[in-house]
Amino acid sequence: MATATEILRWIPAIAKGGESPIVRTVGDYPGPDAAETLIRALYAEHGRSLLAYATRLTGDRAAAEDVVQETLVRAWKHADDLAQGRGSVRGWLLTVARNIVTDRARARAARPAEVADVVDRPPVEGDHSESVVNKMVVLEALDKVSAEHREVLVQLYYRGRSVAEAAKELGVPPGTVKSRSYYALRALRAVIAGPSVLAPEKGEVTR
Amino acid sequence: MSEHDRTQLGAYALGALEPAEVQEVDEHLATCAECRDELAELAQMKDFLGEVPPEAFLEGPPEGGDLLLQRTLREVRELSPEPASAPAPAKRRSRRWLLVAAAVVVVAGALGGGVVLGRQTAPQADEPAAGYKEVTATDTTTGTTMAATVEPRVGWSWVRVSIKGLKAGAECEMLVTDSTGKSWVAGSWVVSAKAAREGSAFGGGVLVPLDQVRSVEIKTIQGQHVVTATV
Repeated sequence: MATATEILRWIPAIAKGGESPIVRTVGDYPGPDAAETLIRALYAEHGRSLLAYATRLTGDRAAAEDVVQETLVRAWKHADDLAQGRGSVRGWLLTVARNIVTDRARARAARPAEVADVVDRPPVEGDHSESVVNKMVVLEALDKVSAEHREVLVQLYYRGRSVAEAAKELGVPPGTVKSRSYYALRALRAVIAGPSVLAPEKGEVTR
Repeated sequence: MSEHDRTQLGAYALGALEPAEVQEVDEHLATCAECRDELAELAQMKDFLGEVPPEAFLEGPPEGGDLLLQRTLREVRELSPEPASAPAPAKRRSRRWLLVAAAVVVVAGALGGGVVLGRQTAPQADEPAAGYKEVTATDTTTGTTMAATVEPRVGWSWVRVSIKGLKAGAECEMLVTDSTGKSWVAGSWVVSAKAAREGSAFGGGVLVPLDQVRSVEIKTIQGQHVVTATV
């Protein structure tokens, strides 16, 4: 089954063929079939992740759905950014979603308070734009380390499990969880320090 | 932890060790600059991990239906320029674009074929679906002639009528009676001047399977009988 990433890679590869030096992508030629296929693939792969993230940031399911919708539409408009294969697609999507949430929060703050704003909402994470590249870089790096390494980091860091809990979850002895987490962090460092990932001049997210 | 056991440092940096283990590592770190340096590097990686939200590791589509997907597709379709409005010098480009579209359609097939299938199973406007029934009737009192086609759908029916002899401005409704004698409204419309001259065509669906459709009747909204065809 083709992933969204594969679809994105094919598009410029096929479209390039001719004399034009500019890589043509979905964004330039939004044929309805290609657009639909891209949106469907992105939704099927990343929809859950995006919606959960946007829901946490906005504290509101309806607002989160709007954010996801806008994120996917931007992905289609900027398919060329995505197709260049810099950073992970998911990192790009999550970053754009986060930017949309931040922009909307700012727009709201610029207006007089509304009744809806009184409702308790978790604060939007601090907006430091230098993390725009990092989110994509780190996710890409996590894609590049082995599945075992990624798993142990997800368990210990992102799911907040203890060594004993992760050992049970992964079906390995606690000692293995410890050593694996050490080597996973080393591997991550090697990937991030490697030449392919840290190329800061590109990979910027279009807002 | 009196000697180097670096493999503890990963879990330590990630905050996953038990308090007793943490204390052991702390004691060792207090005396070992090498391990402190190592820990600093690992802690930097932990900070990097912090850039990625935990939701990044959820897979698949959102739970609870695809209304959001449909809404997004609608927006993209509305934003897509019509093929006819493409700029003129783009001839070669559009051929290339066709290639892309073709490749993507292949992918769509691999993804489950939702796009293509969805279109092919939509009701066709021209030919009646296989297994349809066709009846005609003339009402001698009103002088109205009707040809009715009842097409099978899955659990319901699509009824198309073509009627001559209706008066312009008449407000009509189509009723379908099932085998239990129950009457279903399959839609209503107003007869235009042109339809009064040349014949009126109308279609509507009812939640009655084809084999239970007994009759199709046209009435005015005011309740006046116009014509009935028995199926």
